[in-house]
Amino acid sequence: MKRSAKGKKENKEKKPYLKPEVKQVALRPEEAVLGFCKTTVVAGPLSSACATLACLSNGS
Amino acid sequence: MSIHSSLFIRVADVTLRITTDSPHMKVQPEGAIKEFIVFPTKPDVTVQAVWGKLSERTWGKNIFDSGGLWQLYQERGSYLFCFTSPTLGAHPYKMASFSKKFSQCKILLDCSSFRPEKPVYPLEYPLDELTLTHFLATREGVEVHACGVLVPSGGAYLFVGQSGAGKTTMARLYQKLSQVKLLSDDRIILRRKNNRVWMYGTPWHGEAEIACPEKGRLTKIFFLRHGEKNGLVPLGKAEAVSRLFSSCFPPFYDRQAVEFILAFFDEVVKTIPCYELTFSPDERVVALVDGLT
Repeated sequence: MKRSAKGKKENKEKKPYLKPEVKQVALRPEEAVLGFCKTTVVAGPLSSACATLACLSNGS
Repeated sequence: MSIHSSLFIRVADVTLRITTDSPHMKVQPEGAIKEFIVFPTKPDVTVQAVWGKLSERTWGKNIFDSGGLWQLYQERGSYLFCFTSPTLGAHPYKMASFSKKFSQCKILLDCSSFRPEKPVYPLEYPLDELTLTHFLATREGVEVHACGVLVPSGGAYLFVGQSGAGKTTMARLYQKLSQVKLLSDDRIILRRKNNRVWMYGTPWHGEAEIACPEKGRLTKIFFLRHGEKNGLVPLGKAEAVSRLFSSCFPPFYDRQAVEFILAFFDEVVKTIPCYELTFSPDERVVALVDGLT
């Protein structure tokens, strides 16, 4: 009787199982959106000029 | 140097056909994309490029701003990517219009921004990569920031990480070994086919300039982390999905696509073992990875 009562108490204290879910993700927006030139490629019709001007849009 | 009036490119089993209606446009692929040229076949995506004049007018509803080279607009069911360059200011140098499923694309290159007598590659980065990532987002495929390695034992390893995580370092360690094939040191596309997950090399390489148009059946995923010594820790599924998502290139403005990507990663981690790999840049980490059963 004693054990059973203890078991009931433990059951009451246990939290219900919850399936793991992704709620927050550590993004690096400047990489994820493909908005910037890659280190070895420069975008645009004046790509050589971009390189010469040390273009600030280098990305991942 | 070969100049094309019609060009076929295949990346991750997606074939793009690039043509031009402008008689004076000389289409010429550049860089690693040349490795991905294929013989003419039925395309998944048709791309038509023309010379024209672009203004700074608005292009419909602005639904996404990359904060960099491109902005996305929606107009009468079509998607319009508008490209600007820091060197040219606000004046767009290129505009690409896509059908809803991203299977048809029309590119208008601003003739005042280019030298029309010179060859061009209308899908020049980042448009080629955007085309693939958007096309795949509705068709069981996702591009991830990762290095892909095929080893002689049949293992196909994906080393995932954002910039600076060590993808190129891992690629260079494996490059020293014989019978190892590297698919890419920076961008890998994952697709599910016949209930298996495949990883594909892409033209968008990193500093090691590895871009191989081949594929392998994915066997293990490693999330890279620099450390003083080497170590492997198995990851739970939710953590693995979260880390995969943080290293992919989703169309953030498209709820359905984001949901597809999360569901796709959920399926991937159910069948593929995932680990956090802490490593110091020497050959011992290769032995540690290959020693996993």
